[in-house]
Amino acid sequence: MSAFSDVEQFVSSARGLTRMGDLAALLTETVEALGFDYVALVHHVHFTTPEAAAQAVQVVDYPEAWHAVVAARGYFADDPVLAACQKSAAAFVWSDLPSLLPLTARQTEILEAAGACGLAEGFTVPVNVPGEFLGSCSFGIATGGELPRRALPAAQYVGCFAFEAARRIQRLEAARGGRGGASSGPRLTQRQFDCVILAAQGKSDWHIAQLLGISSATVHQHIEMAKQRFGVASRTELVVRALFDAQITFADVLR
Amino acid sequence: MLHAVSRKDRGRFASALAQMHRDRKKVFVDRLGWRLPVFEGEFEIDQFDGDEAVYLLEIDDHGVHQGSLRLLPTTAPHLLSEVFPDLCERGVPRGPDIWEITRLCTAPDLADPRPVRQALLLGVVEFALMSGVRRYTCMTHVPYLNAVLAVGWDCAPLGLPREDAGVMVGAIAIDITPQTLDIVRDCTGRATPVLAAWENRHAA
Repeated sequence: MSAFSDVEQFVSSARGLTRMGDLAALLTETVEALGFDYVALVHHVHFTTPEAAAQAVQVVDYPEAWHAVVAARGYFADDPVLAACQKSAAAFVWSDLPSLLPLTARQTEILEAAGACGLAEGFTVPVNVPGEFLGSCSFGIATGGELPRRALPAAQYVGCFAFEAARRIQRLEAARGGRGGASSGPRLTQRQFDCVILAAQGKSDWHIAQLLGISSATVHQHIEMAKQRFGVASRTELVVRALFDAQITFADVLR
Repeated sequence: MLHAVSRKDRGRFASALAQMHRDRKKVFVDRLGWRLPVFEGEFEIDQFDGDEAVYLLEIDDHGVHQGSLRLLPTTAPHLLSEVFPDLCERGVPRGPDIWEITRLCTAPDLADPRPVRQALLLGVVEFALMSGVRRYTCMTHVPYLNAVLAVGWDCAPLGLPREDAGVMVGAIAIDITPQTLDIVRDCTGRATPVLAAWENRHAA
């Protein structure tokens, strides 16, 4: 079968799925047909709050040994693959990471540790839906295997369509679980959004109040509510989280 | 208000259309760096901005361009048929009920472009239902693909993506049914018609 037929078949089979487990099985099968060994479809979010965990996509088929190491050493927050997704909207091959971002010693350690666990090389497709958590789909190669370069365009499409399917199923499952899955990720209201952008520009509550024509107390309340939504304690963390999750963009702040 | 501007309405919307071409130059050429022809140093106009094009044009109360997109019948020459036919593995889809979407743009100085994008999104669906269009085709940059898919409408790839001027591009088809309008209304949280002609038709 041609690589495009694999993509077409994946897209049409994924369309009717309603369970994440079925999507994971279909994805694993497709990924193998394209010449990869492992796959991970994730929203880049720490599961700090039950709300975040209920709304995030996480379908991971990686070597068991790697899961254990990531959990034990807390690698998630420093993962260079996730860091590269912040910088690049374009898909990338893991062995090209050093040319995409200056790797810290810990990031180099993470790549080496992954290789030692049998996950030596891979290809990652960043997924950005404006107003939602950043996500990605990664295709891994077992240590000793070779990256199927000719399959990369097909993998890119499978990654995009798989992520959308997972996003749709996540909402269905959240709705089934009674968690009201209509929303995806903590969303800011328009007024919270306005306040966070101005806070990101370094403006005080008083100054924001003047600009928006509302009271200082109301501004304070909007900021506090936004902090609660993201589960963070400080104004600085709020701005960073809002940027990280693409709720606000650098273009909003630096205009 | 959103207007579907075909050849016969060009005169009535002349100034907004000129502003659209200026904004397209600012967005696509100046900001995104696309290599497109520019007319008289300020208007982005290509060979498909001809008689066949229908523009969905969002204008404010003063008639100023807020955002727009271009619709082309696939029975006439269009971007996929003339420039990127290789993006369609099984041939470029063509027919009287298949139209192509290109040049989606919002005015570069808008404080919040989201309501305009939402209106355009609702507008393409209303236009399709009003005009018997059952399928749209469009070329997308792969990094923007998930924003298109996230609408929740029925999308399918037409071929594998490939690199063009440093970015991956691909072609997709979007199928439109009456149910699509419900999906898009749900996605945007707006339940009322956006297209001027559509509203009039229902009022009549």
